[in-house]
Amino acid sequence: MVPINYYLFLAAALFCLGMFGVLVRRNALIVFMCVELMLNAANLTFLAFARMRGDSIGHVSAFFVIAVAAAEASIGLAIVIAVFRSRGSVNIEDIKTMKH
Amino acid sequence: MDLFNFQTAPIHPDVLEQSLWMIIALPVLGAFVCGVFGRMMGRANVHLVACSAVAGSFVLSVLAFWATSHMVASGTPITVPNTFGGAATRYALSQDLGTWFAAGDFRVNFGFLVDHLSGTLLLVITGVGFLIHLYSTSYMEHDEGYWRYFAYLNLFVAMMLTLVMADNLVLLFVGWEGVGMASYLLIGFWYTDSAKAWAGRKAFITNRIGDFAFLIASFLIVLMVGAYNRQASDADFRAAGTNQAQYTSALQQRGPLTFQGLERFAQALPDGNGEVKLDTPISSGPLEGRTYGGMLTVAMLLFLLGAAGKSAQLPLYVWLPDAMAGPTPVSALIHAATMVTAGIYLFCRMSYLLVMSPTAMAAVAIVGAATSLLAALIAFAQDDIKKVLAYSTVSQLGIMFMGVGMGIFWAAALHLVTHAFFKACLFLGAGSVMHGNGDETDIKKLGGLWRHMKWTWVTFAIATAAITGIIPLSGFFSKDAIFHGVHHNHLHGLEWVSGFLYYVGLLIALCTAFYMTRLYVLTFHGKRSAEAKVTEDHVHESAWPMTLPLVVLAVLSVVALVYALPLLRPRVDQPLMENFLSPVFDTARGIAKSTELVVLDTSRPTLVDYLIAWAVAATGGALAYFLYMKVFPARAGQPEPAALRAVRRVALNKFYVDEVYEFLIIRPVKMVSFVLFRVVDALLIDTVLVRGTAWVTARVGSALRYVQTGDAQAYAAVMALALLGGLLYVIF
Repeated sequence: MVPINYYLFLAAALFCLGMFGVLVRRNALIVFMCVELMLNAANLTFLAFARMRGDSIGHVSAFFVIAVAAAEASIGLAIVIAVFRSRGSVNIEDIKTMKH
Repeated sequence: MDLFNFQTAPIHPDVLEQSLWMIIALPVLGAFVCGVFGRMMGRANVHLVACSAVAGSFVLSVLAFWATSHMVASGTPITVPNTFGGAATRYALSQDLGTWFAAGDFRVNFGFLVDHLSGTLLLVITGVGFLIHLYSTSYMEHDEGYWRYFAYLNLFVAMMLTLVMADNLVLLFVGWEGVGMASYLLIGFWYTDSAKAWAGRKAFITNRIGDFAFLIASFLIVLMVGAYNRQASDADFRAAGTNQAQYTSALQQRGPLTFQGLERFAQALPDGNGEVKLDTPISSGPLEGRTYGGMLTVAMLLFLLGAAGKSAQLPLYVWLPDAMAGPTPVSALIHAATMVTAGIYLFCRMSYLLVMSPTAMAAVAIVGAATSLLAALIAFAQDDIKKVLAYSTVSQLGIMFMGVGMGIFWAAALHLVTHAFFKACLFLGAGSVMHGNGDETDIKKLGGLWRHMKWTWVTFAIATAAITGIIPLSGFFSKDAIFHGVHHNHLHGLEWVSGFLYYVGLLIALCTAFYMTRLYVLTFHGKRSAEAKVTEDHVHESAWPMTLPLVVLAVLSVVALVYALPLLRPRVDQPLMENFLSPVFDTARGIAKSTELVVLDTSRPTLVDYLIAWAVAATGGALAYFLYMKVFPARAGQPEPAALRAVRRVALNKFYVDEVYEFLIIRPVKMVSFVLFRVVDALLIDTVLVRGTAWVTARVGSALRYVQTGDAQAYAAVMALALLGGLLYVIF
């Protein structure tokens, strides 16, 4: 059986990749995909711990995260499409309207 | 003879007691009506309202005064039961209108008490007050602000009546402050003239200093009464004829500052049987560890400062001469008859507390003597007729303080009354002189008036003789009664005071005779001055509303002498006034006898005493007459003798007391307030606090603006960093 450390290392690596993407990419779609990546890293952690403890709480958490991710994807993509329609771009540099 | 049976009042005291409040309410109402509707009512109506308000209060005062001597069928006088137990207050009426305010176990009732002392003062205030009102109707006939004037005048009378009738210190303080306010309004009556407005302000502020001391003293008394009530046992209260339970419940019912309660407190305190004596330390409370006697002395000295403010004694006398800026009848009212005597009244009222503190008594007497002498010396050189009279008032008040300080309270009260008569007469006479001479106040520019103003001349001469102390007039007897008391009373441990002050007193009498004669001679005799404003043909006597009060007051200042003579009943070996006021001052005498702190001598003056006093007065008067009629009739423009010039200049400038105050007090205070204004107000509050907060907010805002980018990635980066920071914190 694979030790839990490997799962956690993998999850941490995925999370860091996702966060790196969120922080540095300018394309809104890519940022979204990176957020998905971070969520999945979290899911992986939950499942690994559930497997280790042998109960279902981690699974329940994972389902919640999946539900949230689905909602985020649908609403977030709808917002991105609306922004693209109004401004013709999904570059988040261009939509910083609150900037002084 | 029933007609002359003055021992039965026309209205039974029980009935009259319910209406005591009306004595004050009438002038208040008059002030309200004159002040609010006066302008539309017209001159005659205002005169009617103002005069009748005071006249009504005078009638009520007469009834109240009469009722205080009411005898019931068995021949016993009417009494007011003392809530604090012990003997009832004899010869008194009282009305208690219930709680005024209460806080915790401190309580003040709105109560009035009229006994022989306050009854006498009621008569003086309303009687002389009415004459002055009458006089004013003529004196102020050309003034536009007459309705304002009469409203203030009524208010003043009302406040003075409150002061006198109050049965506790707090209500007395209301009157005390009230007359201060009314005098401020009246002195600064012609407010468009800034010098006069300043004089009003000076009076107000000087009084305020004294009032502060009065308040502190009252607080001390409250603390002491409370501490005593906790600490004393029944044995302590036995001397006062009461017990602790009764005293405590009465304290809750009437409050610690009623004069009845203070009287019991005073009687209980020096008793040797109980645990608490004058030198017992106070066991609890803010005054813990200090002795009752010591704190009493402190309180009395603070009251002295308060009384010095109101009664124009050192060091606070400076306002009174300046207060001549107001209309002349006001000067008569404030400075002769009423307000300035408040300090003497206060000490007479609390005589039982005063006699327990020889230190305070000596201080009162010495302050009085010093003030009196200083004021008399200043009066030597003043040329303004009203200024001379003002300094004379200060001087006479000093004599009264000497009497109070040496424990001869009845004589002080008598001098208060006689002084009210002749000083009011003098002031009104001066007003009449000014009225007939185009408002000329410089006595060097008058002269020879006796031919043209007969009534004024005669009454002024009588009043001058009275204040000088010429023998058949009242001023002689009241003043001599004081000096006799000063001579024979002794303060325990301070015997030198009375011996010394007696000679100071003689000197004062000499000075008084001198400057009053000088004033009289320069004004009414000699040749008409070349610089007079009004030529001799145009000098005219005043109208009857002005001369009538003069005549009445002159008569009164003559006949008041009977109060100093033992005339009451053949078996009473006391002057009438002493006998009359004895219900008020018996407590003080009893305490003085039991503690032996003060030795009171009640012997009557002998012929020698009278002769000495008379010789002194006559010498002073004759000297002045001789000097100013024969040697140098000092008219304006004529050179003065070189030897006297320097002395005169100093005296004319009032010994530079105002300048000393200016240098010692006013300049430093101004300096400090300038620094406070610059540093605290302008720098600290305006710059740092007010503009500073605005500045900081703006700066912080503009700095934070750069953080609010709207860049989701930047926010995410901050979150990530915070997460990292949190992690590091948890791990390490």
